[in-house]
Amino acid sequence: MGKFWSFLFLLVPVLGVGLFVWAPFNHHWLPRDVSAHGYQIDHLFNFILGLTGVVFIVTEMLLFWFLWRYDGKTNKSPVKFTHGSHNLEIVWTILPAATLLFIAIYQMNAWADVKMHKPDMLPTVEVTARQFEWRLRYPGKDGKLGTEDDLFHVNELHVPVDEMTLVKLDSADVLHDFFLPHMRIKQDAVPGTSIPVWFKPVQSGEYDLVCAELCGWGHYKMKGRLFVESRSDYERFLAELEKKQTATNVEKKAEAEE
Amino acid sequence: MSHEAHAPAAGHLKLQYQPALPLRNGKLFLWLFLSTEIMFFAGLIGMYIVLRFGATVWPVPHAVHLSEPTGAFNTFVLICSSVTIVLALEAAKKNKSDAAKFWLILTLALGSVFLGVKALEYRAKFAHKIVPTMPGSPIFNIYEKADRYYGSAVKYRAEEILDGVAAEEKALAAKYDAMAAEVADKKLPQAEADERLKAIADERAKETASREEGEDGWKKKKEVVNPLLSEAKTVNQPDILYGLAARIMPMAGARDKRHFLGLNDTYHWLKMPIVVPGGNMWAATYFTLTGFHAIHVIVGLIAFGLMMPMKFTAANCGIIENVGLYWHFVDLVWIFLFPILYLF
Amino acid sequence: MSTTVAGSHAHDEAHGAHAHGSFLSTYVFSLDHKVIGIQFLFSTMLWLFVGGLLALGIRWQLAWPWTEMPVIGKILFAKEGGQISPEFYTMLVTMHASVMIFFVIIPILAGAFGNYLIPLMVGADDMAFPTLNMLSYWFMWPAFALMICSFFVEGGASAAGWTSYPTLSAIPQAAPGSHTGQTLWLWGLIFVGISSMMGSVNYMTTIIQMRAPGLTMFRLPMTIWGMFITAVLQAFALPVLTAALFMQVLDRMVGTGFFIPEGLIVNGQSAGPGGGQPLLWQHLFWFYSHPAVYIMILPAMGMVSDILTTFARKPLFGYKPMVYSISGIAGLGFIVWGHHMFMSGMNPALGTTFMVSTMMIALPSAVKTFNWLGTIWGGKIEFTTPMLFALSFVCMFIIGGLSGIFMAATPVDIFIHDTYFIVAHFHYVLFAGTAMGVFGGIYFWFPKMFGRMMNEPVGKLHFFLTFIFLNGTFYPMHILGAGGFPRRLADPYHYETFKHLLAMNQFMTICAICMGFSQFLLVGNMAYSLFFGPKAGRNPWKANSLEWMAPSPPGHGNFDFQPVAYRGPYEYNFPGHDTDYYPQIEPPRPGEKQPEHH
Ligand code: HEA
Ligand code: HEA
Ligand code: CUA
Ligand SMILES: [Cu+2]
Repeated sequence: MGKFWSFLFLLVPVLGVGLFVWAPFNHHWLPRDVSAHGYQIDHLFNFILGLTGVVFIVTEMLLFWFLWRYDGKTNKSPVKFTHGSHNLEIVWTILPAATLLFIAIYQMNAWADVKMHKPDMLPTVEVTARQFEWRLRYPGKDGKLGTEDDLFHVNELHVPVDEMTLVKLDSADVLHDFFLPHMRIKQDAVPGTSIPVWFKPVQSGEYDLVCAELCGWGHYKMKGRLFVESRSDYERFLAELEKKQTATNVEKKAEAEE
Repeated sequence: MSHEAHAPAAGHLKLQYQPALPLRNGKLFLWLFLSTEIMFFAGLIGMYIVLRFGATVWPVPHAVHLSEPTGAFNTFVLICSSVTIVLALEAAKKNKSDAAKFWLILTLALGSVFLGVKALEYRAKFAHKIVPTMPGSPIFNIYEKADRYYGSAVKYRAEEILDGVAAEEKALAAKYDAMAAEVADKKLPQAEADERLKAIADERAKETASREEGEDGWKKKKEVVNPLLSEAKTVNQPDILYGLAARIMPMAGARDKRHFLGLNDTYHWLKMPIVVPGGNMWAATYFTLTGFHAIHVIVGLIAFGLMMPMKFTAANCGIIENVGLYWHFVDLVWIFLFPILYLF
Repeated sequence: MSTTVAGSHAHDEAHGAHAHGSFLSTYVFSLDHKVIGIQFLFSTMLWLFVGGLLALGIRWQLAWPWTEMPVIGKILFAKEGGQISPEFYTMLVTMHASVMIFFVIIPILAGAFGNYLIPLMVGADDMAFPTLNMLSYWFMWPAFALMICSFFVEGGASAAGWTSYPTLSAIPQAAPGSHTGQTLWLWGLIFVGISSMMGSVNYMTTIIQMRAPGLTMFRLPMTIWGMFITAVLQAFALPVLTAALFMQVLDRMVGTGFFIPEGLIVNGQSAGPGGGQPLLWQHLFWFYSHPAVYIMILPAMGMVSDILTTFARKPLFGYKPMVYSISGIAGLGFIVWGHHMFMSGMNPALGTTFMVSTMMIALPSAVKTFNWLGTIWGGKIEFTTPMLFALSFVCMFIIGGLSGIFMAATPVDIFIHDTYFIVAHFHYVLFAGTAMGVFGGIYFWFPKMFGRMMNEPVGKLHFFLTFIFLNGTFYPMHILGAGGFPRRLADPYHYETFKHLLAMNQFMTICAICMGFSQFLLVGNMAYSLFFGPKAGRNPWKANSLEWMAPSPPGHGNFDFQPVAYRGPYEYNFPGHDTDYYPQIEPPRPGEKQPEHH
């Protein structure tokens, strides 16, 4: 039976690695990256995958080999009576330590790019998450938020392609999370604080905006859309929004006066 | 040792151990227990620090009716009680049971004094409604700023008071009207009826007068509340609201030694909502920290109470030592709480 | 076989009996650590069943969203017409995790195995404070009751995730489960906390003060080391959670607003004046709950080490490094909590600090993994059921640990945070790790607990099926996570990005159901063996540590002789010795060279 069990344990690295080889070729992988910074994250993911993959294969193969080789039923050589080895302990402390330290340092820039080096600009849009929708507010002509000419919209976030977008992220009630899978962006929205989020889309298209923090019974349906479009399309969108808004404002005023 | 040790044992064998520390298990338990307690209060004090330094404003002690001398007095009381419990232990070690008991009673008394002072302090806070507000409640106990919500809360409270007065007036009228009607129903001889009605009317006038006069009489209430109400009705004007807030509950802007008397202080029945920027969080942290500390004090006092019937000797003074250790810990926690709550 | 051990075997029968006493004081309110341990064991297995059913509810929804669950749907979700509603899904997720973590894994490790094994393995007749020990069990019952009740109160059970993040959890009107259910959840956890607290102080005292003569700290079995460090973690981390729980209770019942920012309007209603900080809860929660994930694995690591050496018939490789790495995990465990908060809005510079400490915490785990491999290297492996479970622990802990490295890398965590990559990670460490270790422990110590052997072929079948279906259920979660599939979502398929992942989810659900059914083999095996299993002697596995020298099951007071330890617990195949094991209590032979002291 020892051989049978050894093979069972061998299945783990074989199928485990197999699945990770199969997946990227069958659309079961990271969604297409359409951001300027995303390649760093994907690269790190792949790098760590390779590294841990090696550790995984080596350790699991060792496990398999020891089980196969030292099966008590077939192993006739005497047990290696030992309480351990100083040198080995040092080797397998230092090696992983060095590896881990390397990963730690290697990734710092990517993190700083996405979360620390805030671009010096006014917010492109203010996103206020609330149960269960994304309230959007664009600065009007004056380019400033919080003025009379602000434009309001819900759930459909339009941004210009190839330009840095700075989002001012707020929450009106509970925690939410602003997750753009294709943009490699994720940030919790916290009531009581606004958090800046920035990204630069490099491909036009229509993408998902996901709420990734449990925010109540409707969490699953708190769905938004991200429209990345050319500058001119973007401006047309804003203009249309303004037109609609003035129309409703006029209507409202008329109603109020009645 | 080995071979005899393995001899078959009938019944329960008394096993030997090799303890790592020269302590009795009870003492070790207490130390470990106290370390978990330290972590508990560390969590709470950490919370206080984070919230306090994360807050944009924090009320000065006078704004929340917190008095440093009272706190200092209580600190002194608690330190004394730590001394008396040590004296109790010393006495017990010398087999002086009566002396030990004396010091123990003194400790108990000092602990009770501490709690009594704490209760008075709490009462002052409750009286001024410096207490947290339930989430979801439309009317707050403390307002962070004199905004529209505050204005409408003042209006609400003012109307409540006036409605109360009106209801009392109506009830009084109804009461005497009913009495008069009863007399009328009885079909008494005219003279007797007149006499009775007159008595009722006299009493009515007397009671009405007594209800109208006085510091919390109807007159005073209307006099004080009506202007507030008309002011509060202009809820959209922040300046007016702010003046209103300042009169109802003036806050010491700087560290002012003078104790401001707000309207709520002058008229104890007024109970207007108050504005204390940062006050809700202040009340939350103050009551949580001192409350958990007070619970520990009470547990200590119960332990002292339970020890009262004992006779103390050098042999059983361990219990005084252990409870004393706990008491020192409770004392220590207060020594941390006093400065962070009262002085900084 | 040495004379002393043979000698003590002779008294097996005499000591099988328990101390005399009424049924109530012997089996219900017993002060005996063994009875309390077994009470914990059976209670937690019951809860495993509950937690598992909830998990199957989750799985059903993810594979066949908004359809009626067959058979159990009608019973469980009668109100919803057999179909899971979105709010019920959030309750399922929350309660599944709460039950598994606070009512299964923590109490089965510390409560069941800790209670049963600590006095026996250190050579004591009971815990240092038996009454406290009994209380620690009975404090679980109010907690059980509150959790059960919470399903039936208005609004239903807590639905803010097991992490219970405010403001969702702190404001009643924010979610259906945040009405009474959340309050009950909080009180339930406070009771669990008190129970754990009493247990941990008791365990520490027992291990420090009540070891048999000769049993120095560095001769303790790894199980005891695991339990000891766990108890230390409990004692120092848990009070902080208790403080946080009280604060949330106060927020909800008094309106302190610790976790509620100023002037929030939720569902059209004011949430009080507030002034607090939502992130404060996360800091306090993870300050406990990160150490808690090690609380949930260190005892299992210890048990696995003991099982591995016993069936590899070889000393543990690197005893001291193992001890130091456990302690290292515990120490570092206190400074990494922020890795759960990389995306929370916490200062990103702080994130970098936590990233570095998190990377470093993989080191002691690496040391442990390599030492386990070193232990089976060059041994004579016996493939018994406990051994298979222990091996699978090592095999799959590696997977769970390595996925931790992805998440520790802050930029990668941007993408995978709150996706199924995380779910894969913690099921690999918690289920494929700890729970498999626990199963191994049950098979290993069952003969000691009940005096009878469990059925080996059925045990192996249980292992085989669990192993296969477990990987079938949880391994694909890594791929889902790489696809960005978010967790805690009742229906992720209405996002275009995740539509195509449905088929894989259906496969996983089928595996999960099969895995659930496979557990009946364990239950059946235990029930059968309890009455009909072959009698086990004192030492059926020919192991070394002290518990195997006591009768099976041990009588009142545990030992019928004074245990004295002459060496560590792992001297298998000691050169020149006549048996391949060398119990700790056997005095050295004259002229025999003793193993070097570690
Ligand atoms: C028993 C439980 C357990 C254990 C042991 C661990 C172990 C680890 N965990 Fe895990 N973790 C959880 C339970 C656990 N975790 C849970 C429940 C959550 C989710 C909570 C929630 O949000 O609901 C979580 C979440 C979680 C996160 C947050 C993710 C997020 O929400 O975004 C992170 C991030 O850093 C993390 C990291 C780690 C690391 C680095 C380890 C390390 O200790 C792992 C170390 C082990 C190894 C690395 C493998 C063996 C080593 C080798 C073979 C040597 C060579 C290796 C290298 C050189 C790389 N965990
Ligand atoms: C120790 C901890 C533990 C354990 C053992 C498990 C076990 C399982 N978990 Fe658990 N899980 C968590 C801890 C654990 N989980 C945590 C912490 C979360 C995060 C929650 C959150 O986000 O807040 C989570 C979340 C979680 C999710 C993510 C939900 C979401 O984010 O939307 C899923 C989805 O598949 C899942 C599935 C399972 C399954 C299928 C099992 C199976 O292994 C269960 C198998 C066991 C049984 C089935 C019981 C035994 C059964 C019997 C004896 C009888 C059989 C009965 C029948 C078949 C009718 N779990
Ligand atoms: Cu919003 Cu989830
Ligand atoms: Cu963690």
